[in-house]
Amino acid sequence: MLATSGTLLVPQFLKAFEQQNRQNDSDRILIVLQLSGGNDGLNTIVPYRNDLYYKLRPSLSLSKEKILTASDELGFNPALGKFKELYDQGFVTVINNVGYPNPDRSHFRSMDIWQTGSQSNEYLSTGWIGRYLDSNCEGCGSHTAVEIDDSLSLALRGERVKGMAIKDPAKLYHATQSSFYKTVSENHSDEPTIEYLYKTMAETASNAQYIYDKSKVVKSTLEYPNTDFAKRLKTIAELIQSGIKTKVYYASLSGFDTHVRQAGQQERLLTTYSEAISTFVKDLKATGNFDRSLIMTFSEFGRRVEENASGGTDHGTANNLFLVGGKLKKPGFYNQTPDLKKLDQGDLIYEIDFRQVYSTVLKNWLNTNDASIINQSFPPLALV
Amino acid sequence: MNITIPQPEVKHLMSRATFGSGIKRLSLEAKQIYKEAEKINPLLSVTKPDVDQSDLRAMKSDPSRKQMVKELLNKSKQDLMKLNVDWVEKMISEPTLREKMTFFWHGHFACRTLIPYFAQQQNNILRESALGSFRDMLMAISKNPAMLQFLNNQQNRKDHPNENFAREVMELFTLGRGNYSEQDVKEAARAFTGWGFNVQGEYQFRQRQHDFSSKSFRGDSGSFTGEEILENILDDKKTARFITGKLFRYFVSDQTVPSALVEEWGDQFYASGYDIKKLLQVIFESKEFSLPANVGNRIKSPIDLLVGLMLHTNGKFENPQSIVFLERALGQIVFYPPNVSGWTSGRGWIDSTSLTFRVALPMLLFGGAETDFEASDDGDANGLGKEPKQKRKLHCNVDWASLAGQFTKTSSDETIANIESFLLARPTTLANRKYITRMAGATSDGAEFIKKAFIGFMSVPEYQLC
Repeated sequence: MLATSGTLLVPQFLKAFEQQNRQNDSDRILIVLQLSGGNDGLNTIVPYRNDLYYKLRPSLSLSKEKILTASDELGFNPALGKFKELYDQGFVTVINNVGYPNPDRSHFRSMDIWQTGSQSNEYLSTGWIGRYLDSNCEGCGSHTAVEIDDSLSLALRGERVKGMAIKDPAKLYHATQSSFYKTVSENHSDEPTIEYLYKTMAETASNAQYIYDKSKVVKSTLEYPNTDFAKRLKTIAELIQSGIKTKVYYASLSGFDTHVRQAGQQERLLTTYSEAISTFVKDLKATGNFDRSLIMTFSEFGRRVEENASGGTDHGTANNLFLVGGKLKKPGFYNQTPDLKKLDQGDLIYEIDFRQVYSTVLKNWLNTNDASIINQSFPPLALV
Repeated sequence: MNITIPQPEVKHLMSRATFGSGIKRLSLEAKQIYKEAEKINPLLSVTKPDVDQSDLRAMKSDPSRKQMVKELLNKSKQDLMKLNVDWVEKMISEPTLREKMTFFWHGHFACRTLIPYFAQQQNNILRESALGSFRDMLMAISKNPAMLQFLNNQQNRKDHPNENFAREVMELFTLGRGNYSEQDVKEAARAFTGWGFNVQGEYQFRQRQHDFSSKSFRGDSGSFTGEEILENILDDKKTARFITGKLFRYFVSDQTVPSALVEEWGDQFYASGYDIKKLLQVIFESKEFSLPANVGNRIKSPIDLLVGLMLHTNGKFENPQSIVFLERALGQIVFYPPNVSGWTSGRGWIDSTSLTFRVALPMLLFGGAETDFEASDDGDANGLGKEPKQKRKLHCNVDWASLAGQFTKTSSDETIANIESFLLARPTTLANRKYITRMAGATSDGAEFIKKAFIGFMSVPEYQLC
């Protein structure tokens, strides 16, 4: 079991280097936002000059008049007004055509692939952020990666260290403060598995207390939209402001599986996304935390180029991925719009491997050895 | 009236080889686990789909088609729920070795389907040969509509092979990674071309889509059929060892696996013609199975935990649908594995959030506590859907007075010891025992004492283990 752990693969001098580096950038934060269900990328970032787009989507396509034009080729879905403002200010990089070889069109399988950072024919039981914890988090606690939810996604599960799922810091704190929980978690056992459980309980209690103590005094002064997703981002903003030592935050917005009547549903979801992230960025700026934050948004796949007969789209492959931050190397469109003439069974052919984006973020943003976490070496992209 | 806790070795066997003895099967002896597993009661929750999809296709321009599709989807969602609840209730009412093995194979041949009847059909295949021949099981599963659909073999055609089934059958079901080449996957896929099914859930061999030309597979060549590929895989001892290793980790220990022993047992399994029951007997009667280091330290899967809670209390859910919510909250939904490699195991089940929920669970079920826990949504529009957002009561009815009659001894210390040894595979700490005794002892009411003591012992970390 030990032989597989990431830290052993890193030579000692590199570790020292890493630690030094980490001190310099130790306050950097990564926020991962997951759009579950497969967001339709082509109606998110619209190739409005492309005749094929209009031909294949007679009823779903968005006309040039409707969209928020951003370049000679591309424009944003009108629901992304607030997000487009961030784009105009140079705080957004849109990477087109992100995917992986031999794409899987099943939600859960493709989500697994994105969350574990595996190849499409490989099954990993740890997530990419979990492996980041394994190799960088010797004794630093589960709160290093926090998911704003009631249960923990595979992405945040490492072999030895796992992140924490917290929807409401006060709730978790109170759950671990009952006299029963406290009494029990103070125990120990000689049996390793039982000891592991006691240790997990004790750590949960102390992490919950740490987070609660730090965050209870921080209340965001901004008014967030009244959506569940915006509330989650507000919680993240408050946790960041509280100064807790969390490196990675994770939150999801679900409902993008638009097989039927896509237009209304996607617009509603994109509005939710756009308004929440706009307030969130405003909040981070107001508290001086924006420059140390990088927000990455992905979905498990894009959707079929051609619309279906129910006013929706079916599962597809490559998709766009967004980075939001104050320190982007190449704000705007990172690469060309997808080629709609060259499709694989009606689906886009990916151009950039998502693991190359992960690697870049790990190496250039979190200053860690990306190859040991992604299990493959990718040259970094000029993103951050 | 008073119950007798079985000897430690019987208790250990029951908790691993079955879903546990619970209250009702305390007098069962070790050898009876095979006897009670002989009976095969299939799961009969849902009926064959009565709408033919080809009818729907023919109705393409008919305005009522949309409505029919919608109703069909709703019906299948309800049926999937029913199937799920019925199976878990079956594990509770028939917690036998056969049911436990059906659950093991369900995780081994992990599969998802949106057609409830297909899911049930597959489940019954697994139950039927759960203790029989692995050879028969593999053949049957490979021709099972749910599996063929899940691994895209319906799309595996001569002019356009789909490798999904061919790959997984070797990687996850039989040989294990590293015992075949990429070329073997391609060649095997060609042998499985034309293996399909119809809407009635019947296997169909589509001759015109089958590739009859020569294949070279793992050193042999010939115009192999799919059956011959499976025979070739079964004729390799590595398959027997792979399955044996998985059973060892499931039943004996997921911490240390003695490879020489697994190899020896695997070779015996092979020599027996893949007789599963014989292999299980070897495992359960082995020295390793009863080693103190292998007792009471296996982390229960969510289903083990849930079924165990019901068996220990003889409890009944006020609303059986709560079962599905709990499966989701605990991270293991039957008929809905995370992917074809099945569920995690051991420490994979434990993180700070899941453990907090697990130790709070007895209070939710038996103590009247409420939860606003929200299980996460996988985003699939065709998935099981999400329960309404609200504080929920997951109340379970338990006849505490009757349990008091069975567990109460002359002194409260003896009663506590009785309950602890019934519920826990390993004793908890002195401090915990004292705390629970004090908590329960605050009342003079016998049933209330038993209830508090039960909830107390079910909430300590040792209860997470079997």
